[in-house]
Amino acid sequence: MADVAMNVNGEAVRAELPDNTLLVDFLRETLGLTGTHVGCETSQCGACVVHLDGEAIKSCSVLAASVAGRAVTTIEGLADGDALHPMQAAFNAHHGLQCGFCTPGMIMAGVDMVRRYRASGEALDEAAIRHELEGNICRCTGYHNIVRAIDAAAKAM
Amino acid sequence: MKVLRPGTLGEARALIARPGHVAVGGGTVLQLGWASGATPPEALVDLSRLGLGDIAASADGGLTIGAAATLADIENDPQLSDTAPLLARAVRDIGAPGIRRLATLGGQIGWGAGCLLPALLALDARVFAAGSTDPVDMPLADWLAAPDGLVLSVTVPPQAPDATWTWRKIGLRAAFTPSVIAVAGLRSEASAALGAGGGPVPPRRLPVSEAAVAEGPEALRLALEAEIEAPDCIHRTGRYRARVAAAALTRGLFGTPRAPAAETSLKVPAAEPPPEGLRSLEGGPGGPEWHPRPDGRAKITGQAGYLTDARAPDMLVGRILRAGRPHARILSLDTSRAETLPGVAAVVTHADVPGLNAFGIMWQDQPALCHDVIRYEGDPVAAVAAVDEATAETALQAIEVVYEDLPVIASPAEALAEDATRLHQGGNLAAGFDLERGDVEAGFGAAAHIVEATYVTPRQMHVFLETEGGWCAPGDDGTLTVAVGGQHGGRDREQLARILDMPEERLHVITSPTGGGFGGKDELTVQPALALLALKAGRPVRLHLSRAESVLAGVKRNPMTIRMKTGCDADGRLLAQEVELVADCGAYASLSPAVAETALEHALGPYLAPALKTSGRLAYTNNGVGGAFRGFGANQMTFAIECQLDRLAALTGLDPVEIRRRNLRRPGMPGLMGHKVAGSERLAEMLAAAAASPLWSARAGPDGDPEGTGMALNFQGNGLGSLPQDDGEGELRLAADGAIEIASGLDEMGQGLATALQAVGAARLGCARSDIRPVYGDTQAAPDSGSTSASRGTFAAWSIARGAAPGFAEKVLALAADLTGVEATSLRLVPGGVAVAGTNSDAPIARFADLARHAGTALPRQKTAFAFPKTDYTDGNARFIHCYGATLARVAVDPVTGEVRLRALEMHTAAGPVIDLAAYLGQIEGGLIQGLGLTLTEDTLFREGRVLTTNLDAYMVPSIRDVAPSLRVTALEDLDADDPWGPRGVGELGIGAVTPAIANAVAAAIGGWPVAAPFSPEAILELATGSAAA
Repeated sequence: MADVAMNVNGEAVRAELPDNTLLVDFLRETLGLTGTHVGCETSQCGACVVHLDGEAIKSCSVLAASVAGRAVTTIEGLADGDALHPMQAAFNAHHGLQCGFCTPGMIMAGVDMVRRYRASGEALDEAAIRHELEGNICRCTGYHNIVRAIDAAAKAM
Repeated sequence: MKVLRPGTLGEARALIARPGHVAVGGGTVLQLGWASGATPPEALVDLSRLGLGDIAASADGGLTIGAAATLADIENDPQLSDTAPLLARAVRDIGAPGIRRLATLGGQIGWGAGCLLPALLALDARVFAAGSTDPVDMPLADWLAAPDGLVLSVTVPPQAPDATWTWRKIGLRAAFTPSVIAVAGLRSEASAALGAGGGPVPPRRLPVSEAAVAEGPEALRLALEAEIEAPDCIHRTGRYRARVAAAALTRGLFGTPRAPAAETSLKVPAAEPPPEGLRSLEGGPGGPEWHPRPDGRAKITGQAGYLTDARAPDMLVGRILRAGRPHARILSLDTSRAETLPGVAAVVTHADVPGLNAFGIMWQDQPALCHDVIRYEGDPVAAVAAVDEATAETALQAIEVVYEDLPVIASPAEALAEDATRLHQGGNLAAGFDLERGDVEAGFGAAAHIVEATYVTPRQMHVFLETEGGWCAPGDDGTLTVAVGGQHGGRDREQLARILDMPEERLHVITSPTGGGFGGKDELTVQPALALLALKAGRPVRLHLSRAESVLAGVKRNPMTIRMKTGCDADGRLLAQEVELVADCGAYASLSPAVAETALEHALGPYLAPALKTSGRLAYTNNGVGGAFRGFGANQMTFAIECQLDRLAALTGLDPVEIRRRNLRRPGMPGLMGHKVAGSERLAEMLAAAAASPLWSARAGPDGDPEGTGMALNFQGNGLGSLPQDDGEGELRLAADGAIEIASGLDEMGQGLATALQAVGAARLGCARSDIRPVYGDTQAAPDSGSTSASRGTFAAWSIARGAAPGFAEKVLALAADLTGVEATSLRLVPGGVAVAGTNSDAPIARFADLARHAGTALPRQKTAFAFPKTDYTDGNARFIHCYGATLARVAVDPVTGEVRLRALEMHTAAGPVIDLAAYLGQIEGGLIQGLGLTLTEDTLFREGRVLTTNLDAYMVPSIRDVAPSLRVTALEDLDADDPWGPRGVGELGIGAVTPAIANAVAAAIGGWPVAAPFSPEAILELATGSAAA
């Protein structure tokens, strides 16, 4: 067992966990943050994307014990109270979702890419958005509205 | 397994030296290994605290990259694109962004199979490692041949600025794909460096081929094909790997070879104007028809309440024991050890089934829990409920089952052989269909042209992102709540009542929201096992299938083999059509017989021929379970007939539009079975829309790859058909908080049911969408509206609003009259409440909330019943109302790999009035892309009854890079003046004709038709280089 402490959505959390506990299982099962989803066990689908120290990673491919001491943000921690994050608002406005199961991962990936491109001064054009979304599977839409949503959010963020 | 995080290199080396201790960088590959059954090591030695992540200029002007540098660090390094542009390009194709942020360079090397290695090899990278005895500094190639110690850094010399370089990763789809093979090459005056590897191909330098570079492209290509040693895998042959690797390197280093000339004789249709009333569907925020989803906010904040997300302190975790073998007899089943494990609350087997141990929508041949025979790998044998996942897993392993394996029926042909082992008492023929009309032999005898081909369609998997699962809780009053994502709560309840021997009134079934269905949650999934567990434990239990278990257990699209022979006269008019369908049912019937019958309903497409002969055979096998999937057999048969039409067009010299026009059925004609069909047929208009498409005159892209445009028509029935019961109920009611509830037992799977209910309610009542709260997917909260399948939802929602709105409005107005003293006849519903009619003001004089308060407990409600319109045909099943479409695809065929890339997809639709623009577009776009997957990448592969594509790393759904960059959808919304049936449902229309549109586009590009979907790049290469198929 490992004594794992980290910051999740701005709160200090701590738990005794089996060493092989994946970050996503820690979030969903220990903390009850079930907004982060699991769509496969092979890191393909991207439904589990969260932010680790502000960067998007797949929480199904990280052990909780390996990220002890770091800060994690999940979809539940993105809005500021009742005020939606611009990325969330854009997904809603542009119909960047249908069943919505992949959406938390899509939104977390979207927020990360906008921040990162802004920091590096690179343009987040449509081609860049598509490249950045290579690791997120959506089975309902044709992805087009997701690209539009991220593009709109990038302008609003 | 333990995770150790050493702080110094010395500690790390000491730990790694211990048995069972494995060094790990980002760890992204380890998880993949565990998921595919590898045993986790005793200890992981996490190297992340050692530093080692720096990237710095090296003494020779290149870069030294620390082993712990992530692939994202390398991708983002500002010096890399100057120093080693080949590496900068290659790293972008490894994994995906969220993976590259974790995966390290050391991991790529330590794993020994990273796709980046060919690039590093070609660049003469050197490894610096803490060897087992001494420090090591050696070429990467040498280190890979004999790994020694822990990699500390890699030095990449500067890439020669004058060198021509190339990189290509060939995968199973366009992005985030396992490698088929990756190649890297550099060529300058003096030398060449070549590397290949990735996936199952060990990464190697290619010295023989390097020497052949000086002899020119053809010598290089031949040398490469001989030198690259590549094994077969379930997806591609070794020969293909070597061939495309050789072609990619040769093309990359010597320029574009001339694409083989297309031998197609397909003509392009003459330009004509689109039909009147056709409009492009476009919209966005602020647009007049663009409404946010009622469930949008919950879904974007992580609060949607998926049934698999429910957690409660006393909830047990359920797991199901799957047989894991395709065909066997259970000799003994002993759960006693599992039952006594601490933390195990319940273990159930067939002995715990109080009622009928069988289910199935059409007939009940599938056991809730197997008692004697196993018929597929995913067959459930037992289930456990325990305090947590780990305990449940331990308990599953403690269940002892002794099996006697039986002969495996691995294909319909084996199943239908005379002496085949019988999978069911009635034999292996699950259903058979025959139809003969007119004189087929005479028709072929008189034909000027005959084409015959055998088309194959895959065992497509639904891949709803939310796998099957949910929770179940017994109530104090003898009731049971079963909350599992589904597509028809009322029928799930009926089936569960039979299994549990419990009156339906005591079962409360919740089926929404669910994270995608597409037909795959139409049948019962985990409900029987889950309900039995909750009843036995007397506590709430949750259960959620892993993806691997979902792949094993869930229904799939029935694979079909369709032999089709079509003859026409010299003018292209069809004379005879012969169709022989063989479909794989899988182990149990579910809805497969109806799927096969629906396929045959499309045996002639929307065309006419005087002679028709069809036969269909649906055979039980041990290949999983087949069943409902969007399109329901129609899209498979459409693939065949629409390709036949283009083949005949090529032979007759007609263009694809003209040959269809000459054979198109006309409005008012009977359907294929001679049955009556509803009006508002728009096939001619769809054909005209296709003729008007700009894609016919699209210009080829700059890379010179062969391109082509293809089209296909389709029609899709709405409703279950003439035989099954197909009706339902719904209700409008005013809730205590003033919301108008529109209640329907249908389900929200993402398709936009909630949106549709709001839209039709508001349109009928005259209130705002925001006044309406859709209530659905819950047998207690809403009446049974039938199944959410067969494109039924739109008609059901529209019928509920139409049927209930007048009565409901009357009651609301009476209530308003009572409250305000204004006569009811002078009032009307407006957004927000009730207003005085005949004035220009929409200002309500009573708000809905006021009316609800005034009503007290006598809240107005109006129930209604509806029946899906049916045709008169009862010798078999046939549909009455339909929607229509024309799909066009513009494709490019990669001459190196044979991969088909979509340049553009366009679909014209005619399905009556669009009741919600975004939902309609979403269904068409989503259907097109799911069809694209079926056509190019998706197939659940089986060998001897065992699934080979066990998870999403082997089963390839389209990534964002696979979809067409241009996607256009139009709608023709008018209905015939006397058409009483309202808007048609388009849930299945979009998937209906993508496959033949792409196949016909491929034929236009390279001169031959692919016949087996998904189209293997290997087969496409053969088509492109071989002679044109007839």
